[in-house]
Amino acid sequence: MANGEFRLRIRYGKVGRLRWLSHLEVIHSLERTIRRAELPYAITQGFSPHMKCAFGPALPVGTAGENEYLDISLTRYTTAEEALARLIASTPADLAPLEARYVSEAEPSLAAAITIAEYHAIVSGKESSADSVQTALAGVVDSGSLTVQHRGKQKVYDLARSLPKEVRVTDQDGGIHVALTVRMGPEGSLRPEVLIREAFRIASLEATVSHMTRTDTLIETGEGLWVRPL
Amino acid sequence: MTRVDLWPRIEPLLSRIERPARYVDREWGAHHDEEADYRAVLIYPDTYEIGQANQAVAILYGLLNAISGVAAERAYLPWVDMSALMREEGVPLFSLESCAPVRDFDLVGITVPYELTYTNVLETLDMAGLPLRSVDRSETDPLVIGGGPCVYNPEPIAPFFDAILIGEGEEAISDIVAAHRAAQSEGLSRAATLLRLAQIPGVYVPSLYAVELDEQGAFSRVVPAEGAPATVTKRVVADFDALPAPVRGIVPFMDVVHDRFGIEVLRGCSRGCRFCQAGMVYRPVRERSADTIVRDVMAGLACTGYDEVSLTSLSTTDHSQLEDVLRRLQRRLEGTGVSVSLPSLRVDAFGVEMARLVAAGGKKSGLTFAPEAGTQRMRDVVNKNVTEEDLIGSVERAFAAGWRRVKLYFMIGLPSETDADISGIGDLVSKVLATAKAATPPNARGSVRVAVSVSTFVPKVQTPFQWEAQITGEEVRRRQGVLRESMPRKGVELHWHDSEISFLEGVMARGGREVADVVEAAWRNGAVFEAWTEQFRLSRWHEAFALTGVDPAAIANRVRSEDEPLPWDHISAGVSRRYLARERSRALAEQTTPDCSFVGCTGCDVCDDLNVEIVLGGGQRG
Repeated sequence: MANGEFRLRIRYGKVGRLRWLSHLEVIHSLERTIRRAELPYAITQGFSPHMKCAFGPALPVGTAGENEYLDISLTRYTTAEEALARLIASTPADLAPLEARYVSEAEPSLAAAITIAEYHAIVSGKESSADSVQTALAGVVDSGSLTVQHRGKQKVYDLARSLPKEVRVTDQDGGIHVALTVRMGPEGSLRPEVLIREAFRIASLEATVSHMTRTDTLIETGEGLWVRPL
Repeated sequence: MTRVDLWPRIEPLLSRIERPARYVDREWGAHHDEEADYRAVLIYPDTYEIGQANQAVAILYGLLNAISGVAAERAYLPWVDMSALMREEGVPLFSLESCAPVRDFDLVGITVPYELTYTNVLETLDMAGLPLRSVDRSETDPLVIGGGPCVYNPEPIAPFFDAILIGEGEEAISDIVAAHRAAQSEGLSRAATLLRLAQIPGVYVPSLYAVELDEQGAFSRVVPAEGAPATVTKRVVADFDALPAPVRGIVPFMDVVHDRFGIEVLRGCSRGCRFCQAGMVYRPVRERSADTIVRDVMAGLACTGYDEVSLTSLSTTDHSQLEDVLRRLQRRLEGTGVSVSLPSLRVDAFGVEMARLVAAGGKKSGLTFAPEAGTQRMRDVVNKNVTEEDLIGSVERAFAAGWRRVKLYFMIGLPSETDADISGIGDLVSKVLATAKAATPPNARGSVRVAVSVSTFVPKVQTPFQWEAQITGEEVRRRQGVLRESMPRKGVELHWHDSEISFLEGVMARGGREVADVVEAAWRNGAVFEAWTEQFRLSRWHEAFALTGVDPAAIANRVRSEDEPLPWDHISAGVSRRYLARERSRALAEQTTPDCSFVGCTGCDVCDDLNVEIVLGGGQRG
């Protein structure tokens, strides 16, 4: 961050139909939003100038996000309220910014700081019930690790580390809801739908995830406190 | 009528396919209007990322949505993974905005961008659940209207459309919609509606034109039904500067081709290259003024948030106020990170100067020039008024100014071409390469690249070469061999076009109505997305030719006499047949013809036939 620039942190959602966007599509779209909002955005110097902005951890295609974050650098101070109002007026509703506030230049980047993600999945399947889903998930969680094949590579997740909270399964309005919290980091970020799919496969449970939402992305402080980036 | 929303049936398919962003709508600029009582859907018959940036669709979308009581939506052809699932689940082709079945609209407009998308038109109609042919449609089916670059010989697709608009759509579209709405409120039958549409200038209703063959089974003439005009003449907008540019265009989420704000700075080109259909059919030249361009670029960037604007047209460097426009844009866009791009450059000092203006301080990604032929003789035949000196001088300037890549476009198979003309391409490329290296500092010479793209000439209708024979596939491959031999071995990336694809383009370009049977047979045989090389199979077409008894070589590879009746004679682009024939004989005599937008009239008849004139923003060119 260069001198005289202001770091504005924005909380936004990726919901409704737009959960089908990829992370790259979200980045491009929000950059265009910032230009439409005519915010005084900073650009990088050099051969191929581009907007200075930094996003939190990527969301997969098909997964919604209710509390996602990005930082942008502004060259002029504009009140956060005004910046937010202009952004909202320039963004498709399902990708709309929800909150904006200036943060210190000393804070680490979102991508490095956000290590905790909370997810909510809706599961459906003919023979499945909250109990059978709970049992299937417990089977994998209790085994302590999960081995995933991805593009020919094998990755082993330590579930004690990757799942810092109990997985909760509830029955709501005839649907089976799974709430789980995942720890992300350089050692790897477990994708919750991979865990659920694998649990169903092992338990021979015929069920699928029909909706997956990342409900929150959080920063874990040195004291072990989980806080929102804003 | 209650409208059907197919989204609940489409969303469950999205986790099973690639790139779901193609199907979700909700982009910035998409227009949602649930109330309008007249509904049109505009379809680009290819995938979303190919069709989204199409300017014609964007213009018509904006104009239709501005009419009170009218809503326009978009649809694209789903990629094969999605269409297979949709067929499996019984989901018909849908519009993006309201996710409604295409067949529930009042008007279905399909743009036809390229000959190899003809089978995609049938795939579109079939997925929509509409009868493929106009004659089989019922009173409750929507009106299916075509338009776009391929309509100057509409015959190979004529039976699939109820009507085809020849020429520019900005004014014609509201005439068509008004006539259709009036016909609906009067309760007219489909046949009576079509007869009424045929009265609108530029509207061709194929079912009103019977094709007659002679005793040998060759094309003889087209007989119009009573009340239909003998010749359908293209529509053209006289006051192009006054047309609203689509500045509130749709901004896609996913990466698409031409993913930038495009502003059409001029329409038409009268350079007079004799192979070029666009140059013949989009006349006369009409420029937008510098003030209008700068105003619309600033408005378009503000509305869309794009970081790039492209000044599009057939020959942007010919715009009489280009330098003024670029200087003003540069001032306005300073410090925003927004860049300006030009589609291709005139091969001269001015062209390179404009490229320098555009690239000032930023990336110098590569320059594109189109000398088209390797020898002066051949360039004179095609009327490409570029000399070797022009090209070498331009390359020298460009590399001295810091560019390291240049792309050159050439053609083989042009009328009267000899092997010497082909090896002339290699000689010219060698000189370009040597010039580029000499103009580059020694330590940077390793990064010098010359890309050479060589297409095969396909004779197009409404051009001076419409009577010429296309060389056979075998001959194409022989000449490509000559070309390869003549090319420098190092420092050149050579690309050439597939001979099979060129052959099929040629058949579609000049075929008569019988070719519609071939298109249908090929589609029934699985031909779809033929413009995607990995999907293309010539064998399907050979089977279709055999099945329908159509001889493709007689269409593509045969020279025609100038008094032979042609299947597209009832369609006029305004350029007279007399002019085309005169240009053809000047070509074979190796005589060039100047550009009427720089000097005086050269007698193509467009201005008189269409009652329009050349409009130059700066008053004069050159």
